[in-house]
Amino acid sequence: MSEEHDFDVAIVGAGPAGCAAALVLARAGIEVVVLERGQYPGAKNVSGAALYGPVLNDIIPEYWEDKESFERHLTTKKITMLSEARSMTIDVDLRDFNQTPYNGVTVQRPKFDRWLAEKAEEAGAMILPDSMVEDFVWEDKQIVGIKSGDEILRAKLVIIAEGANRILTEKAKLAKQPHARHYAVAMKETYELPKKQIEERFHLTGTEGISNEILGHSRGVPGGGFFYTNENTLSFGLILNAKSLTEKKLKATEVLEDFKNHSYIRKLLKDAKMIEYSAHMIPEGGFKHLTKLYGNGVIVVGDAAGMVLNAGLYIEGINFALESGRIAGEAAKKILESNDYTKKSTKIYKNLLKESFAYKDLKQFKRAAKFLETERIFNHYPELINGLFYRLLKNNGKPREKITRAAIKHILKRAKLLGAIKDVFGGLNSL
Amino acid sequence: MSDAKKIMTIEEKLDLTKITTDHNHEHITINPAICKEKCTTHDCVYGCPADCYKFTEGEDAEGPVSYDYIACLECGVCRVVCPHGSVDWNNPKGGFGVEYKHS
Repeated sequence: MSEEHDFDVAIVGAGPAGCAAALVLARAGIEVVVLERGQYPGAKNVSGAALYGPVLNDIIPEYWEDKESFERHLTTKKITMLSEARSMTIDVDLRDFNQTPYNGVTVQRPKFDRWLAEKAEEAGAMILPDSMVEDFVWEDKQIVGIKSGDEILRAKLVIIAEGANRILTEKAKLAKQPHARHYAVAMKETYELPKKQIEERFHLTGTEGISNEILGHSRGVPGGGFFYTNENTLSFGLILNAKSLTEKKLKATEVLEDFKNHSYIRKLLKDAKMIEYSAHMIPEGGFKHLTKLYGNGVIVVGDAAGMVLNAGLYIEGINFALESGRIAGEAAKKILESNDYTKKSTKIYKNLLKESFAYKDLKQFKRAAKFLETERIFNHYPELINGLFYRLLKNNGKPREKITRAAIKHILKRAKLLGAIKDVFGGLNSL
Repeated sequence: MSDAKKIMTIEEKLDLTKITTDHNHEHITINPAICKEKCTTHDCVYGCPADCYKFTEGEDAEGPVSYDYIACLECGVCRVVCPHGSVDWNNPKGGFGVEYKHS
């Protein structure tokens, strides 16, 4: 390897993963540069978005003291099942989540990513926006720098934090052509609603907030809706598995409008004014479809590596990005110390990552991705459960059935039994 | 709940999103010859969240599907769903393309 270099470490992408890595490195006095293709960090990024307070607190202690860092802290979680004209919601109110570091907080990525990048900058990292990395510089099968436009920037180690579109990860020979089954298309709409109205509608005080996952009414496409309250905006969107969507010949944009037209969603968004439409891709292949995590002169973090978990109740993206980025920073320190940048040395990143909650969760829920491809979960069961409540609550002038008997009859009549048994065991096994 | 709001079209929704178009460089291109010869499913038309892919009409169309990069949200779904490798997918050059404020 050539001795000349411009930086110790070059990071591609100033999202949560790239910024977390940059922070760790800059704090250790290492020369680190972050190249961001957007006009500013977060300009290209979309999330629901919520993240775990303790994970952020590990990176920026007492982050909540900085008003810029988050929108609202989550105290209410709702899980809703929709079917035509019906809905059922589980509403969990956890006011003990009012304690800092807060269990979860909502963020807007253009604000949050920029804030995090500023923290990295304050620590001594160089952040370069408007910088699109097209390729790498190779020497003896080892990555020794990056190419951006006419410029070449040499670094001892490159950290790829490019996000869901893992173009460079493929160029680094750490991943192959992606498959539609392992990706979801996420569409998001941001709405403006005065703070006071948000707080009245959802019974919130101070910076309290709610998150709502919404299953069903997505024309049978595996996926689901999300809804979060921010300070004076609402985040709403729909996630759809790309393969199932196209196989059913359904247009993503039309499924979204259909979904939005459900009375439950209309009520959530009533009187709110849409101020932005955005879309992004989510890798949801889980543990089995992680990319190779390291190579000669290079490591991969966050969405680029496929570090996203979709296990129904737990949907982790930013958390894993922050965690894998932080660990990449720690690993890079050790790699620099060893002065060996071959994969024998960069492997330490994977070894450290294996000890993290992110990797362990991905491994633990490795069957979840496959299980959640089951279309029955997104179509049949929300209908089944709403139908059961209809049967129990509807007055038809006759004496009431015994609740248990009505439930058993309803389920026997409606459930595709073999499938249901398979799903129960599949669910128990994978979730 | 009586407010039967008018559904916004995708064009109206995209008007809310700031996009700086690079008029000198189409970051994504498709190969109409491949589309014409191999494609029967047109997955790009269904997957794209900005409706950038449209069915073409008329005999003299180059391929079954046309693509316009102007409203592209850079999500990458078209590359992933195309089974024939017809989508040459690249990010826009630094400073161009979508610029989210709230997402």
